[in-house]
Amino acid sequence: MRTLLLLVLMGLPLGGHAAEGHNECGQLAKCDPVKIDLRDQPSLQRGARTFVNYCLPCHGASYMRYNRMGQDLGIPEDLLKEDMIFTGDKVGDLMKTAMRKEDAKEWLKTAPPDLTLVTRWRSPEWVYTYLRNFYRDDKSASGWNNLVFPNVAMPHVLYEWQGELRPAQPTAQAQDGKPVEKTAPTSERLEVAKPGAKTAAEFDRDMRDLTNFLVYLGEPAKLDRYRIGVYVLIFLAVFLVFAYLLKKEYWKDVH
Amino acid sequence: MSDEGVVDPRRRRLLIITTGLGVVGAAFAATPFVKSMMPSARAKAAGAPVEVDISRIEPGQLLTVEWRGQPVWILRRTPEMLNSLKEDVSLLVDPDSHVDSQQPKYAQNPTRSIKPEVLVLVGICTHLGCSPERRLEAGSESGLGSDWPGGFFCPCHGSKFDLAGRVFKNVPAPINLRVPPHRYVVDTRILIGVDQKGAA
Amino acid sequence: MNTKAGAWRRLLGWVDDRYPLSETWEAHLSKYYAPKNFNFWYYFGSLALVVLVLQILTGIFLTMHYKPDTGLAFASVEYIMRDVDWGWLIRYLHSTGASLFFVVVYLHMFRAFLYGSHRNPRELLWIIGVVIFIALMAEAFMGYLLPWGNMSYWGAQVIISLFDAIPVVGPGLAEWIRGDFVVADATLNRFFALHVVAVPLVLIMLVFIHIVALHKVGSNNPDGIEIKKKKDARGIPLDGIPFHPYYTVKDIVGTTVFLIVFTVIAFFIPELWGWFLEHDNFIPANILQTPQEIKPLWYFTPFYSILRATTSDMVAWGLTPLVIVMAALIIFSVKRARTRLVTSAIAALLLIGFYFIEAKVWGVVLMGLALGAFFLVPWLDRSPVKSIRYRGWMYKTALTFFTIAFIVLGYLGTKPPSGLYSLLAKIGLVIYFLFFLLMPWYTTFDKTKPVPERVTWK
Repeated sequence: MRTLLLLVLMGLPLGGHAAEGHNECGQLAKCDPVKIDLRDQPSLQRGARTFVNYCLPCHGASYMRYNRMGQDLGIPEDLLKEDMIFTGDKVGDLMKTAMRKEDAKEWLKTAPPDLTLVTRWRSPEWVYTYLRNFYRDDKSASGWNNLVFPNVAMPHVLYEWQGELRPAQPTAQAQDGKPVEKTAPTSERLEVAKPGAKTAAEFDRDMRDLTNFLVYLGEPAKLDRYRIGVYVLIFLAVFLVFAYLLKKEYWKDVH
Repeated sequence: MSDEGVVDPRRRRLLIITTGLGVVGAAFAATPFVKSMMPSARAKAAGAPVEVDISRIEPGQLLTVEWRGQPVWILRRTPEMLNSLKEDVSLLVDPDSHVDSQQPKYAQNPTRSIKPEVLVLVGICTHLGCSPERRLEAGSESGLGSDWPGGFFCPCHGSKFDLAGRVFKNVPAPINLRVPPHRYVVDTRILIGVDQKGAA
Repeated sequence: MNTKAGAWRRLLGWVDDRYPLSETWEAHLSKYYAPKNFNFWYYFGSLALVVLVLQILTGIFLTMHYKPDTGLAFASVEYIMRDVDWGWLIRYLHSTGASLFFVVVYLHMFRAFLYGSHRNPRELLWIIGVVIFIALMAEAFMGYLLPWGNMSYWGAQVIISLFDAIPVVGPGLAEWIRGDFVVADATLNRFFALHVVAVPLVLIMLVFIHIVALHKVGSNNPDGIEIKKKKDARGIPLDGIPFHPYYTVKDIVGTTVFLIVFTVIAFFIPELWGWFLEHDNFIPANILQTPQEIKPLWYFTPFYSILRATTSDMVAWGLTPLVIVMAALIIFSVKRARTRLVTSAIAALLLIGFYFIEAKVWGVVLMGLALGAFFLVPWLDRSPVKSIRYRGWMYKTALTFFTIAFIVLGYLGTKPPSGLYSLLAKIGLVIYFLFFLLMPWYTTFDKTKPVPERVTWK
């Protein structure tokens, strides 16, 4: 009886909660896996470079400071000033976008979201998949569309790298001239219509680096907490041993 | 609580170890809370070194800039002003600036500056933190008597400082005005908040 | 050595003449006799106290950096996470602590159902405990708005709208709570005041009187028998041991294990896959963009499920027969004419109400009753024994069903209410209430085992 109740309690349905909704990838059946490694500094540095060059012009990372990024990623301050800060900001400033919100609204109909926490809101997999699934869509205002985020306002910023993609087998719906709906078949596939400056593998690697960097951006203290957490656990384990011995010692009195 | 009788030695030993570990653990656990009250990254960014162009300060003129939320004075002293520093020594508490905390090593000299004519001071009275007034002119027009050599006067409690920020005798302020860490980037630009050799 | 001890004794004597220090220490620790057979379930009381202290401590330090302003709140949380030294740790301890507080409190309450800790003479102790539980829910709800994330915003919007359902005064009341026509700056500002000052004060006072009440009646134990009935010549319960040092050293062990679990979550999985920190709370509140699913945090979801399951179908096909059957059962088993009359009147009123008042209102009523039912348990339970060890199959079955229903309702509360999930929630709702409604009968008819004279070790 008691065991049964215990089992019921311990069996709290923990897993699977995150997956639904959080890991849906628009018209795709599921998001592509991406290898996140916050200890891989070269990858983070490459990602940071892509970020400040291609994302920061429109999106902010306005909870993050340049010098914190420099310290964590091993980028010296003079290099930071020279190569990564384009807005005339100081190294201690927050990474705000150069674009004004009103301009953004006028140009893109919607203000580009801040990206500091995007991987914690969506998921690393979602971001990685999203970045790689832009395709040509002449019917959309920007000329681009995205399998993961249908009818997204953002154009394909990195098309020079990836080239132009189009839906592999134009579906019946698309031929009819109807826009691709959100509920359309989930087995969409893209193929290269015009190759870009990079091969698919190179582009995937760049997007992995960028996603890796965005994960770092979401929580710069993550590695710290892993490291410190281990010490705390070791301490508590040692303390537990002596606390337990002490308890046993005292409880010898109790019969 | 004093327990009656003799405490079992094993029990006593375990008690001491557990208590000791507990105290150590509590100290470690307290550290993050204490440290969270230190200046944050934002405060540090706002308090970052300030670069100032001093080429346009005329002799006898004073420029005020803000560094870490405090007024910092940059005074280009005239030869007469520099002369006065030698004459008022007998009126001062600490003419040779012996207190180390009130200036960096490289400003521990008769003019309390890197270049004799350029004085850099934190404009906060060392008594209770008011900002002293400038009474740069010597003599009676300063309103401080005809023997006033020129300097600064704190209206809050009447502390007086000379043109090197040195405190007078018989005033509430205990030590000289502070010289902030600073260095010359080029001849006409100084960086306030960073020592000559490097870190602030 | 001797003079030192002498000086200490003199100081203590000086204090004792002016303040009952030694007296309090003895009454509540070194000469407070607790049953010697406490088991696993008896850790959660002291653990709740540990978490309360931790929440207050971390909360104070968060308050030093947080800004209760719709324009600044979200950024100030990220400021804590990045710019404040160790801010991330303090914030994660607070967010993890909030959820674990409910884990501990739910297990603490479950213990009462196992061993009858709410029964005579501990009814008042139990009632104070339920009030603490409700105050804790208010505290958690208001705290959840403070990060001003999108889920904070919409969660508050939805829950406060519940008050709209109250006839006549509802809409005005909801506006009064918000201080605006939607959840806005005024709401955030007052929730901050209530979360950091008012409710914590209430909680601390309630916890204090909860402990005072406990020490007046003495702790129950897994055998559900009163140790005070068997005392030695000095008047000390034969099965009692001084709380200090025996249970202090034992609770230190329990607390350490708890802290290990705490550390694993706070340092390695603070989001707990969206259970402790929701993904939709990592974007600032956006009045134009509702999250795909609005769901409260897990500790509210059983009650949220009950709210959502109360549809008009549920009222017609679930609640109506439930009321009729219950009324018939009471009339059948109680012979007093007045009770029968009152029961019939209440049932008739409810049935008329079901017909004329919309289901939304009944959802709010049921959610309130789901909490309110806990108050009545000491009187609904008619069993001659307290502990589940000596109860029969009926109570064990009922408690198992209730526990499963509670967990299932909690899980369903995080899911969209469609199809099978919706049906399951309705079944869960009925089981939840039947556990309370039928308690007087199944505890009366249940076959019990003889209770031992003295506590047992198991």
